[in-house]
Amino acid sequence: MNCTNPLRSGFIASLLAGLTLLAAPLHATDVSVHKNLQTGLLTWTSEEKGFSIELIQLMPDFVRAVYSKHDFPQKEIEHIADYCVFGSILKNTSEQQLTYKVSEWTYTDAQDKTHPVKSKSQWLQEWRKAGITFSWTLLPDDVVFEVGDWQQGFTTIKVPRDQHFDLNYRWTQDDVAYTGSLNNLSCAPATLDQLQ
Amino acid sequence: MSKIITLIITTLCLQLTAITLHAEWQEPELGYQLNPLVKPVEAPGFTLMDMDEYEYDFSEYSGKVVLLNFWATWCPPCRREMPSMERLHQQNAGKDFTVLAINQMEDADTVFSFFGVLETRPTFNILLDSDSKVSQRYNVRGLPTTYLIDKQGRVRYSAVGGREFDHPEVQKIIDALMQE
Repeated sequence: MNCTNPLRSGFIASLLAGLTLLAAPLHATDVSVHKNLQTGLLTWTSEEKGFSIELIQLMPDFVRAVYSKHDFPQKEIEHIADYCVFGSILKNTSEQQLTYKVSEWTYTDAQDKTHPVKSKSQWLQEWRKAGITFSWTLLPDDVVFEVGDWQQGFTTIKVPRDQHFDLNYRWTQDDVAYTGSLNNLSCAPATLDQLQ
Repeated sequence: MSKIITLIITTLCLQLTAITLHAEWQEPELGYQLNPLVKPVEAPGFTLMDMDEYEYDFSEYSGKVVLLNFWATWCPPCRREMPSMERLHQQNAGKDFTVLAINQMEDADTVFSFFGVLETRPTFNILLDSDSKVSQRYNVRGLPTTYLIDKQGRVRYSAVGGREFDHPEVQKIIDALMQE
């Protein structure tokens, strides 16, 4: 039987992620922000050192629709819709292999506290307990990107919908770890009429 | 009658989802890079049903180069690359090559409805991996993921994320594998 204390493992994960981020070379991140004129939703994009990341605000109703389609129980649908969910697109834009692990990513909330990003494995553990076998849509945890590879999936952040936060991500290429951050991110509003 | 209504509603929902996704997701350009495996590995065998409940065994494709694609109808890049897979399949008709698309965890009605919104319905085999067991055996982490398997049944190339499979560079690789 494999038992872990989620509070303890979360603390260790954030401690390890913090230490590894400190050890990795830091680079200034060039971020572009795009506002979708049709929906008013924001997209943040950054590309550096052969790694491209794009985060797209998703509204909770969109998230609900996705998981309803896959017959999730209402409780689990509301649970994930309560998170700040982004569509994320990650790409290897370099000419060599790169890797990333979501377990090494963190976010810094408005109170300047750093937390680990919830990984796909953690979601799947919860879903299995709820009898859900569906295992797609979320950004995979641990990926090796060969040249030209890319991936699309949801990234989930647990912050109040009206608060800003920074995403601190990490990738490795040629045995060198790099970090980047997308700052001042915000969740999609709960409803369209809350868009400014 | 109720089945037809369900199909129509599902089709409309899929179209609505596609519009929403189009509005909210920026769609990256599809490349054509296939990556060679340093050490080719034997492709895991499997038996799966198609939409007409006809059973296919992977061993039936022995002696052919196979483009094995893992996909789902809700996955935007999977939807985008499918027409190029069909063109690739057609331009290699009659050769020792086939495309095989393995759908993940969806039923035949959902897949059938999706084909209703495509300009050209795929003529290659679509198999249903209803519990994702086959994708797990192939260590698929995200959709779409595609493997190119040689005539000896070894995985030789991989591609994670959408591609334009009818690109001349992909065809060159397939031609080389067919000539081995």
